[in-house]
Amino acid sequence: MIATARVSLTATRTCPDNNKLVAVTTMSPAGCPHVNGFKVDNWKQNLRVIYQCFVWSGSAETRKRKAKSCICHMCGAHLNRLHSCLYCVFFACFAKKHIHEHAKSKRHNLAIDLLYGGIYCFMCQDYIYDKDMEQIAKEEQRKAWKMQGNTVLYRYTCVCVWEKYSTWEPTKRELELLRHNPKRRRITSNCTIGLRGLINLGNTCFMNCIVQALTHTPLLRDFFLSDRHKCEMQSNSCLVCEMSQLFQEFYSGHRSPHIPFRLLHLVWTHARHLAGYEQQDAHEFLIAALDVLHRHCKDDNGKKANNPNHCNCIIDQIFTGGLQSDVTCQVCHGVSTTIDPFWDISLDLPGSSTPFWPLSPGGDGSALNGESHTTGATTLTDCLRRFTRPEHLGSSAKIKCSGCHSYQESTKQLTMKKLPIVACFHLKRFEHSAKLRRKITTYVSFPLELDMTPFMASSKESRMNGQYQQTVDPFNNDNKYSLFAVVNHQGTLESGHYTTFIRQHKDQWFKCDDAIITKASIKDVLDSEGYLLFYHKQFLEYE
Amino acid sequence: MSKDSQMRAAINQKLIEMGERERLKELLRAKLVECGWKDQLKAQCKDVIKEKGLEHVTVEDLVTEVTPKGRALVPDSVKKELLQRIRAFLAQHATL
Repeated sequence: MIATARVSLTATRTCPDNNKLVAVTTMSPAGCPHVNGFKVDNWKQNLRVIYQCFVWSGSAETRKRKAKSCICHMCGAHLNRLHSCLYCVFFACFAKKHIHEHAKSKRHNLAIDLLYGGIYCFMCQDYIYDKDMEQIAKEEQRKAWKMQGNTVLYRYTCVCVWEKYSTWEPTKRELELLRHNPKRRRITSNCTIGLRGLINLGNTCFMNCIVQALTHTPLLRDFFLSDRHKCEMQSNSCLVCEMSQLFQEFYSGHRSPHIPFRLLHLVWTHARHLAGYEQQDAHEFLIAALDVLHRHCKDDNGKKANNPNHCNCIIDQIFTGGLQSDVTCQVCHGVSTTIDPFWDISLDLPGSSTPFWPLSPGGDGSALNGESHTTGATTLTDCLRRFTRPEHLGSSAKIKCSGCHSYQESTKQLTMKKLPIVACFHLKRFEHSAKLRRKITTYVSFPLELDMTPFMASSKESRMNGQYQQTVDPFNNDNKYSLFAVVNHQGTLESGHYTTFIRQHKDQWFKCDDAIITKASIKDVLDSEGYLLFYHKQFLEYE
Repeated sequence: MSKDSQMRAAINQKLIEMGERERLKELLRAKLVECGWKDQLKAQCKDVIKEKGLEHVTVEDLVTEVTPKGRALVPDSVKKELLQRIRAFLAQHATL
């Protein structure tokens, strides 16, 4: 035994050969002393080749070779945790100890696990972790991944990365920062991090309610908390910077309400129509805020000048969807299609001056979304079905048909071409027609989980091809959404108040009423009137 | 080798050749993280490490102790989905 003054780096294990105790190195990134025998000549290149051919095969060629040759040289099995000897070309099972026999008889004491790439040392009788070898393994894995061009599905946690997910390993600088800031915050299930009240600065609840919804939008929160905004605006009036600051305030752990006077000032500067101390419309504020953020974000992208429609800023990535409008000529049945970007969907309600019922046939959206009509209440799905129904444009609104070369009657239909990651539904409760201004308080029931499949352009196409019964693929998760924020308006058109329900963690809901935050039940949320409904995609795909 | 294991080997070869095995592995990985299986197993591993002692535990110890529990904890829905994908793949490449 080696006696040392400091903490021993050795442990003991019983050697199976002679039942004697042997000193073996415990885990450390320095690997083990037995690796040194391997690290000679061109070992790095040799190791790379082994990874490329037999562990992570990226090209079709190497895959074919791997498929054929990776079987146990002793029993022919392809399972049983196959390992490859590092000193010669020999594959053998681990589970049946075939590779152990080889190691003993040939004194080749290193092998590599063909499933996960780990290096096993027969002397230490365990997997060892050598920094240099790990580096090679990581690089080869990344290379193979890139070659395959895979897409992976992740729930909620993505921050739009283009590479294979790998666990985070801190850099030297990050380790330094962690050592200097030893305080750690644990997120438990009843933790209130991210919740903070907002002082009302004089009828500013229309702004406060939207801020609450935005600060609880998971992807937006991830973007700002990982410091992704690099400001290139010269002045101090960047709204994105202010947003970033706002997230810092919300996640600081302070429990006193925040006073958003800087935000209000910036909004007044950039969206003049919202300035003043009178009550404004929360929906208008949402659109104005997204617009300003989008414009200020574009300054991040070098490409903005060329194509204003193909912006890749975080706002576009999260909120922008594509709405398809199909105008069908009633004479020649030619279809003219346009696709427009949208940030929200404004839905008419029953009780307004435009008739709501009847809806068109086809596509049983309500059964899919688990809503029942037994109570007679209008559902969100009803509103969406109405929104996507074919509409006769009437004889007074003839469209010039490029097929017929004359003005003809037509039908128009809206469907979703591309769904945004966050879908915002605006229930049009405020009627401003020539005759009257009023608030429509009809109750509209909305679900916690929403499937947008029936309203997609692709679904419409299959309906038109005669497939009325939508075969719902239970594994297709692309169009599934979860509710995460609800903005409500109480009161009348003249004087009212906005509040927001937001979702914290999976099933905890809180009501945000300016400076006051209270716990809410799911029932409270679903029973509320609903003015703006925010849904987040359940599954996110990387491109 | 029995006919059954011959078939398995042939299917495995095809899956590797077409890169499908890697895709299935990634899909499985994502599903097992989502349903909380990874966290459950992590907790199991921590228990084994505490039991055996950090200085003495080997990967082999963990594999032996945790594998049966791990297998039992995989949700049926995940198994169903993987099977469905494999069947679909085989249907597409029906030369086997």
